[in-house]
Amino acid sequence: MEINEELILKLEKLSRLNLSQEDRTVIKDDLKSILNMIDKLQEVDTENVEPLIYLNQEKYEWRPDEVSNELPRRDALKNAPAANEEYFSVPKVLNI
Amino acid sequence: MEQSWETVVGLEVHVQLNTATKQFCGDANIFGEDPNLHTSSISLAHPGTLPNINQTSIQSAIKLALAIGAEINYENRFDRKHYFYADLPKGYQITQDNLPICVGGSLELDSGKKIRFHHVHMEEDAGKSIHHLDDKASFIDLNRAGVPLLELVTEPDFRSGDEVLEFISKLQQIVRYLNISDGNMEQGSLRCDCNVSVMPVGSDTYGERCEIKNMNSKKFAKQAVEYESKRQIRAIANGEKITMQTLHFDPSNGTTTPTRDKETAHDYRYLPDPDLPPILITEDLVSELKTKMPLMPEALKAQLMVEHKLSSEQAYIIASSLDSSTYFFEILKSHKKPKPLANFFINTLIPYAKANEIEISAINVAPNNWSEYLSLIETEKVNRKDASDKLFPEMLSKPSVKPLQLAEGLDIIQSNNPNINDQIISEVLAAFPEEVKKYKGGKKALVGFFIGEAMKKAQGKANPKTLKSDLIKALSS
Repeated sequence: MEINEELILKLEKLSRLNLSQEDRTVIKDDLKSILNMIDKLQEVDTENVEPLIYLNQEKYEWRPDEVSNELPRRDALKNAPAANEEYFSVPKVLNI
Repeated sequence: MEQSWETVVGLEVHVQLNTATKQFCGDANIFGEDPNLHTSSISLAHPGTLPNINQTSIQSAIKLALAIGAEINYENRFDRKHYFYADLPKGYQITQDNLPICVGGSLELDSGKKIRFHHVHMEEDAGKSIHHLDDKASFIDLNRAGVPLLELVTEPDFRSGDEVLEFISKLQQIVRYLNISDGNMEQGSLRCDCNVSVMPVGSDTYGERCEIKNMNSKKFAKQAVEYESKRQIRAIANGEKITMQTLHFDPSNGTTTPTRDKETAHDYRYLPDPDLPPILITEDLVSELKTKMPLMPEALKAQLMVEHKLSSEQAYIIASSLDSSTYFFEILKSHKKPKPLANFFINTLIPYAKANEIEISAINVAPNNWSEYLSLIETEKVNRKDASDKLFPEMLSKPSVKPLQLAEGLDIIQSNNPNINDQIISEVLAAFPEEVKKYKGGKKALVGFFIGEAMKKAQGKANPKTLKSDLIKALSS
């Protein structure tokens, strides 16, 4: 995969970031070296190897359907950058 | 010759499960609460927290799979679907992309036509954004964030808005029978997106489709499908090309308009969720759930017709909800006359429940009291009109008192005692000697007048049938 300006701009958009031109140069190099490493890994023959998705393959206990660990509203809203008594508050998404 | 067109529709239906808690954490799953009362470090996506699957939601999904005859994936797993929106704290939705809980299955319409399912997958709902409370801010309520959903994706098998409407009604019935969701569209526990395209009649190539998002009423879904298909046919006739787009239906004028898209290009970057181990369903669990499956509406309707000899219409109405069919069978235990019981349901009980917007199970009268009520009518102790006008409301307001006692209190018990009839008749005949003479002279139409007078005197205490025959006998003697 080619790491070009267009790809960097797309990634910025998807991750809601606004990078400076300098940052972009740095990130471009970082991404290149990450992909180089991946290319190196690709050299290994994995023809008959099952993909490993989960590190932990033990049987997993499902949670009983019982109410637990709810937060009081005040605590839930406490760490939000903006909130009022009842709601989290964010910059206006839609004008209606 | 003018080209004729066929409408093609596929649905994506979201069913909100009625579990006690959310899909991946113990927050209560309750509709209509004050904002942000039901959150936790997991639903708020605090760092270091891990999701933990709700066992009831998996069981609900399996029940639905069994009801629609889908093939269960005994190993299925969760994926992350990434997008940014203020009411999605994690920045991704946990859903099933590659290995859903089940694939296939179908639902049959009254015409016998089968609507096939592509698959059903489990996922979580997002929170709610409120845009109208403030000029500069949108407010976020996360009570709904993480509520379990099943998404049902059909094949493009629908050919009309009516089929869509019928399908949604049947699906509502099924989820209510299974007791996995209240199926309420107004409150958003069942919502659907309609993918609409048109193709020339006889063609086997679908046209480009448009997606109408978030229909919260089955009638609107039908209207939207009908409008959209006409719009596309008109556009094609005008030489326009249909392009894939997302639409919003406006019920106030019955039209569809393109939505302003949240994102310019969707790039969800699905990946397996490493926080959630695969869901391994055992054969044992599936067979246990199989034994607990209720009779589905279609099977129940058949049983009512074959075993209890109800008409197809009666059976259809009684089987239309689990609530009414359960109550019907409760009363049937003590009142083994299905036909009069069905009539009582259809003419009295169901209309009463509808008018008062309550479930039939919320009617606080013991089933054997209804049985006694029906017996009073059948043995002609109380006439039909008094029963429905007076005794029925009295039973509802005094559910603990026996109907016979209530009827006595209301003074509506009819007597089959011939002496009462004789007494009333001799009084009436004595009061109207002129009319008696006219009657005997041939003016037979006066019989109605005598019956009216006799009924007035009887005040409901005589049996109208015997009173009438006795009266005619007396006049002819």
